[in-house]
Amino acid sequence: MNEDKNYNMPWLCDKCKRELVLKKVKVRYLEGNFEVDLPKCPECNMVFIDEEMAVGKMLEVEKELEGK
Amino acid sequence: MDLDKLLETSDSCIHDEPPACTSCCPVHMDVIAFVGEMEKGDFDKAYKVMEKRVPFARIIGSICDHPCEKVCVRSDSGGTVKISELEKAAVSYGFSPPKNTIPLSKSKGRVAVIGGGISGMTAAFELDKKGYQVTLYEKSDRLGGRIWDYEGIALKKEVIEEEIAALVKQGIKTELNTLINKKRLEELAGEYDAVYLGTGVWEEELKIHPETFQVGDTSVFAGGKLANNNDSVIFSASSGRRAAASVDRYVKKISLSASREREGSFETPLKYETEGIEPVEAIGKASDIYSEDEAIGEAGRCLKCRCRKCIESCSHLTRFNISPKSYMRQINQNERIILGTHYANKMINSCTMCGLCREECFKGISMKAVIKETRESMVRRGKMPVSDHDFALKDMKFSNSKYFSMVRNQGEKAEYLFYPGCQLPASYPEYIGKIYKYLVSNMSGGAGIYLGCCGAPADWAGRQDLMQENIEIIKKTWEDTGRPVFILACSSCCSVFEKYLPEIAFVSLWEIFARKGLPQNNRISGKRVLSVHDACATRHNKEIHDSIRRIATLSGYEIQELKYSKEKTKCCGYGGLVYFANREQSADFVKHRIEESDNDLLVYCAMCKDLLAEGGKRTFHILDLIFAEDMERAALRKMPTLSERHGNRAQVKIGLLREIWGEEPDMDYEKQRDFKLIIPENVRQQMEDRYILSEDMAEVIDSSRKSGERFFNPQENSCLARLRLDNVTYWVKYEEKDEKILVKSVYSHRMEIVEE
Repeated sequence: MNEDKNYNMPWLCDKCKRELVLKKVKVRYLEGNFEVDLPKCPECNMVFIDEEMAVGKMLEVEKELEGK
Repeated sequence: MDLDKLLETSDSCIHDEPPACTSCCPVHMDVIAFVGEMEKGDFDKAYKVMEKRVPFARIIGSICDHPCEKVCVRSDSGGTVKISELEKAAVSYGFSPPKNTIPLSKSKGRVAVIGGGISGMTAAFELDKKGYQVTLYEKSDRLGGRIWDYEGIALKKEVIEEEIAALVKQGIKTELNTLINKKRLEELAGEYDAVYLGTGVWEEELKIHPETFQVGDTSVFAGGKLANNNDSVIFSASSGRRAAASVDRYVKKISLSASREREGSFETPLKYETEGIEPVEAIGKASDIYSEDEAIGEAGRCLKCRCRKCIESCSHLTRFNISPKSYMRQINQNERIILGTHYANKMINSCTMCGLCREECFKGISMKAVIKETRESMVRRGKMPVSDHDFALKDMKFSNSKYFSMVRNQGEKAEYLFYPGCQLPASYPEYIGKIYKYLVSNMSGGAGIYLGCCGAPADWAGRQDLMQENIEIIKKTWEDTGRPVFILACSSCCSVFEKYLPEIAFVSLWEIFARKGLPQNNRISGKRVLSVHDACATRHNKEIHDSIRRIATLSGYEIQELKYSKEKTKCCGYGGLVYFANREQSADFVKHRIEESDNDLLVYCAMCKDLLAEGGKRTFHILDLIFAEDMERAALRKMPTLSERHGNRAQVKIGLLREIWGEEPDMDYEKQRDFKLIIPENVRQQMEDRYILSEDMAEVIDSSRKSGERFFNPQENSCLARLRLDNVTYWVKYEEKDEKILVKSVYSHRMEIVEE
C-alpha cells in the first residue's frame, strides 16, 4: 500500500490534475508552529483543508493559542 | 493596568459580606446556612451548622437572647425571622451527642478559669480545645451559673447536667465550693500562665480592654458580665471565647490585637434591597416550640440577604454566575499570568459594557470601566484574542473607507452636520435620505452630511490606537467644515462624542424631531401601547429619553415603561461587541429583555432593533413611527445580513451623491464579475455564523477561476478554492453552471498553511 496516497479522497488538484497525497505540512498561528499530515498536490504543493477540519480542530487550536 | 486599584475595588464589592444577623451575632452564627438546611427539613445539619459557631449549642441555642433578630431585614415585610425559635427547633429535632474525640495532650500551658457560668465554661472549653491544662474554680457546688435559672423553663435539668458532665469529661479540673478573692487571684496569676475571670461581679473596678479582654497589662483576662456590663447570654459566651483566644496569644507571646477586626458583633457593610420584597407574616407556634413543619415554613421566610442586585439585572453576570468581587479577582489573575492559558478572556469579552451594574450597585462599582481598562491592557500586552473583535474592526474600517465615508455640505457652510453613524444606514438605508431632506428644510443655518463610523467598535475592543486615530479624523472634518453642530442619530455615537470629542457640540436627531415636529403625519388610529427599550449608551441622557417619548406620543402611542428603563435600561446584547465575541451571551441579553414585557418595543438604536427583532420580538425603531409605510412589516423586519450591511452603506452614499449632489461616486463597490453568485439559505446562515462576507467569497471564486488554483471533485462536480485575505484564509466550495456559480459551503481559518 502506498502510504503517500490519501485514500477515499475524491478531490484532485484542478490545476495540475493530480491526486492528492498526505504529507507533513507546516502550519502556524501566533506563537504556534506545528507540522501536521494534510492532503496536498504533489506538484504545486497546494494544501487541502476540509470544512470539518477548519471549523473543528483548527478553530479549537486557534482559540487555544489566542488564550495563551 | 493598576492591579492594586483593581483589588481595592474588588474589596469594596459587598457581595460576600455577611448578612446583618450574622455580623450582629457576637459568635457569628451562619444564619443563612442554618435556615437553608432547615428549609430543606434537614434539622440534623441545621444543628451542626449552629454547633460550629455556638458554644454549648444545646444550651445556648435554647436560651440565647438573639440580638440577631433586631437587625433582621425581614422585619418590615411581615416581621423578623424568628431565628431563636428556629434554634430551639434545631436543638429539639436535630441534636445528636458530639462524637468522642481523642483528647489532645495538654502541653501548651496551665490556665485558671474563675467562675463556672456561661463565659467561664466557654473560656474553659475553648482553652482545653487549644491544648491548655485548665482548672475551673467555682464558688458554688455546681457549674452552670445562671444557666440554672432556665431549668424547667427553657431547659431540662438532664440537658444542663449532660452538657456540664461532657465538659468535665474533656479533662478540665474543677474546684467547686472555692471562692476566689482579690488576694487569691494574685496568687493564681503567679501559679498559672494566665487567668480568666468570669465571675459576673468583682470586688474592685477592673480596667478591661474591650477587644482583647486583658486586664491592664497583666496575665489576667476578664469577660462575661464584668466586661459586657449586660446580661446577654450570647455576648457572655462570645467574650469567653474571645478572651480564650487572647490567653492563647498571650501565652504564645504574639500580638494580642493584630487581625482581630471582625471579632464580636459588628455592623456589616452589606446592603440589601428591600424594595419589592413580598411581605410574609411570621409563622405562629401551636405549642411551646415550632413543629418541624412550622420551623420549615418560618425558615422559608428568611431572605438569605446577599447583594446580588447587579447579577440579577445583568445577563452577563448571570450567565457566568459571578459577582463583581470574584470577577475582578479573576481579572487580576488573568492579568498576572505570564505562561499559561488566560481563562478569563472569554468572560471579559462577554461583557456588553452597558453600565447597568453601576446603576444597581450600592457602592457605585462599574464593571464597564473595569472591563474597558482590562481590554485595553490585553491589547497593549498582545493578549487580546484577535478573532473576538476582528470582524467588527474590519467593519469599522469599511465604514470609514471610500465605500461609505463622505462629507458634503449644504451650500458653502452649514451650521449643522448630520452624522447618522454606521449601523443606522446599514439597517435602514431608505431612511437616511428622508432624514437629511427633513433636516435641510427644517434647520435654519443649513445641514451637511457626514458618513462614517465614530469608532465605538475600537473603543469596545480596547483599541485606543484606532480610536484616537479616528477621533482625530472626525475632529479635522469638524474643523474643515467650520465647526458645525453635529446631529447624531446613534446612542453609541453620542457617548463617544461626549467622552472623546467634548469640544464638538451635538444634538440628537430625536430632540430635533420632538422639537420641530414630525415630517409626515404617520399618526395611527386607535390606542396602541409601546414599551421603550432605551439605548444603554445614553442611559443618562434625559433629553433623548424625553424626546423619544414625545415622538411616540405625537405619533399616537401610549408608553408603558419597562422595569429597566432610562438610566436603568438594559443592553440588547450588541454592546461591547459581545455579538461577535460570544453569540450565546448576546442571545441571553435578547431573551431576557424580550421576556420583560408583552408589549411591542420601541427602540432608537439600529442594533437594538435588529437584535430584538431577530429574537422574534415585535420591535419598532423610532424612525419607523416617523417614516415607515407598512408598520406591520416594520415590526418584524429582520436584520440585514452582514454582507447586506456593507451593501446598504455603500448604497446610501451612492444614492445621496447622485440624488442630492448630482455626483457620480468614485468607487467600484459592486465589482464587475463574469459570474453571478447563487447563495442558498443554508450557506447564507453559514456566512452569518462564520462572519464571511459575500464580497470576500466572490473574491475567492474570482481569483481561483483566474489562476486555476483550486481543487476539483469529479464525483460531485464541485470546485473548492482558497484565498488568504489579510489574516484569514477563506474557502469556498462551488459549482459552475455557465455564468452562474452555486455556492455550496464557505468556511475560514486563521492558521496559516505553509505551501512549500
